[in-house]
Amino acid sequence: MAREVEMADAEKDAAPSATAPATAATVQPEDPEKAALADLTGAVSLIERSVEQKEPRFVTRALRQTAAAKKKITPKVLRNFAHTFPKQLEVGSVLTQALQSEPSSTQADGVPSTKDSVLPEVEIYGYLVGLVFFIDQKKIDVAKTVANLAIKRIQTYNRRTLDSIAARVYFYFSLAYERSNELNTIRATLLGLHRTATLRHDEIGQETLLNLLLRNYLHYNLYEQAEKLRAKTQRPETSSNQQLSRYLYYQGRIQAIQLEYTDAKECLLQALRKAPQSAKGFRIACTKWATIVRLLLGEIPERTTFIQPGLREALKPYFELTNAVRIGNLELFHDAAEKYGAVFQTDKTSNLIVRLRHNVIRTGLRRINLSYSRISLKDVGLKLGLEGTVEDIESIVTKAIRDGGIDATVDHAKGFVQSKETGDIYSTVEPQSAFHSRISFCLNTHNEAVKAMRYPPGSHKGDLETEEKRRERQQQEQDLAKQLAEDDEDEF
Amino acid sequence: MERGLAEAGKLLQGLRSSFQSGDVASCQQHLGQLKIRMTQFPALPPLFQKTPTQKEELSLGREVLEYAVLLTVKKEDEAGFERQFLQLKPYYVDTRNSIPPSSREQLITGLNLLRLLVQNRISEFHTELELIPSAQHSSPFIRYAIELEQSLMEGAYQKVLNSRTNLPDQSYAFFVNLLLDTVRDEIAGCSEKAYDFLSLAEAKKMMLLKTDQEVADFAGMRDWDIKNGSIYFRKINEEAISKDIPSHQLITQTLGYARELERIV
Repeated sequence: MAREVEMADAEKDAAPSATAPATAATVQPEDPEKAALADLTGAVSLIERSVEQKEPRFVTRALRQTAAAKKKITPKVLRNFAHTFPKQLEVGSVLTQALQSEPSSTQADGVPSTKDSVLPEVEIYGYLVGLVFFIDQKKIDVAKTVANLAIKRIQTYNRRTLDSIAARVYFYFSLAYERSNELNTIRATLLGLHRTATLRHDEIGQETLLNLLLRNYLHYNLYEQAEKLRAKTQRPETSSNQQLSRYLYYQGRIQAIQLEYTDAKECLLQALRKAPQSAKGFRIACTKWATIVRLLLGEIPERTTFIQPGLREALKPYFELTNAVRIGNLELFHDAAEKYGAVFQTDKTSNLIVRLRHNVIRTGLRRINLSYSRISLKDVGLKLGLEGTVEDIESIVTKAIRDGGIDATVDHAKGFVQSKETGDIYSTVEPQSAFHSRISFCLNTHNEAVKAMRYPPGSHKGDLETEEKRRERQQQEQDLAKQLAEDDEDEF
Repeated sequence: MERGLAEAGKLLQGLRSSFQSGDVASCQQHLGQLKIRMTQFPALPPLFQKTPTQKEELSLGREVLEYAVLLTVKKEDEAGFERQFLQLKPYYVDTRNSIPPSSREQLITGLNLLRLLVQNRISEFHTELELIPSAQHSSPFIRYAIELEQSLMEGAYQKVLNSRTNLPDQSYAFFVNLLLDTVRDEIAGCSEKAYDFLSLAEAKKMMLLKTDQEVADFAGMRDWDIKNGSIYFRKINEEAISKDIPSHQLITQTLGYARELERIV
């Protein structure tokens, strides 16, 4: 739960740095409330422009500005903002009513709007601002009512220009219910919305809702349902990075529970790579799961994983665990598991850690196997800190031999383990197959590169343009690139 | 509605007493009737309607299905167990907030975990385990299943075999006995790889076989040699690996390289 929150926080923190200079230049800093209101109305005009010009980029920028202005919004600002909506629309009165409980509220001093109607996008945006405000103020019940009304309004529209704003509303809708611990009650609504989004090719809505649903299931440990939903749902190709990394994280968690460690590792590491630096909570959660999965695979994560700035404290339990596995000491492992039991419980990783015990034994056995050419079974048990009879230890050792963990033979009558001499590896096909996998990797990379460089036929003909046009185009492209770079940074 | 509930309650009484006395046929009959009744209760899954008698309906439905599950264990019917349990599961997962927990819940979820172990469906085992609140992990029924899985994973087969003597409930015996064959195969597989030879007496003890004849049969099945009262495990032609040239594989690989190079040049 903490992750989403921290992500939202990170969003708050990251946004001002990019937009603050711009807003500071245009708005006088004297009255923060006025400035906040100006930000909100500025965002509204951006949205209007976006709808007019069919340019979704402006909506993204508007949402970013809202995130920046979020901290400055007070009940008064919201009240004034509500007044800018025409009387016929519910949104104004909903927000005003919701503010009734605010003790510090004063009468709105803004002039009531005289407009007859606003764009649906703007209307929903109004709900969104209110929703975010109430969640930030921890007025969850109010937030829930606002969210429900907003969802109801969204369902009456069918406009692609609304999608990205609606997706934000869905997110906060789910967040409000998560805070009040009633996630299971909105599952049906989310499923309905997801169906609608899919039918209407609302891609950002599909992605957001799929992630919310997965989160919803995983919140109640319903891994089976989550996996069924995930496997049967098609994700749109063009995806926003942050939704994709969330999706990969959920997928990784499901696969880890279902013992598909290799796939899980792939997903979790990918999610970690795609997540922006500022989303600290997300990166911590991801690293935790990735660590456990790698340990279960028999890999030892590098020390640098645990000493990343800002993550060090949170990852300490996992660091100690890794240490225990690396050394192959059962006692150390049990100590760590017990000491941080509560942490693992809240991280929902405690069941996975129970599974790790087996890996600890394996690592320990491997070390013993390497250092002794012959050792009695009893001593193996002592060294590993294994409780149980000699028979138990013997069968554990034999299983390790069968699974290829160690290369040895057991002499039952005399009760010892004899390590095998390592044979000449160059007399086997092993080097050849290793070589083969490298060659095919190189060839693959080459082919991919060739594919990526291919241009569609006839594309060079369009290049015949006047000098003037070209200059204009270059200018435009530069602007666009700058915009995109900004968007990428701040969208989280 | 009220009357239907009262009648169903009476039937449930009948089911309880015939279950106590171990009369499978009469249990079956009661169950059949009760299940028909249950189709008329709107508060049961998947409808979950909030009727005035919702609590009574839910607890009744749950108890009926619990008996149904336990009955399949008595009849030693694995597939039936799975079917009945899947019907019962929504009661455990989704009604936690509306009715007080059943006293048999841990017993039955433990049984289900055991069934998944027997059927070697380990990933489902872990998925189910996640659904069980961690507070319940210390209950003897759940604990038993978890420990069994751990011993199996580690290879501590003796522990698995010993666990037959301290079952948390008689109904667990059915599944644990089914585990025996799996464990024997595992032990045999491990022994092949780990030992050069093993005396017959030891093998008999290790693989839980009763007579020398059984050992001989088992060895024959696995293609082991018996000489001078010991079993010699054939090392699966280890020598040959290095000498055999995998010609077919090599040819395909080389041709593949040639084709790719052609494309580059």
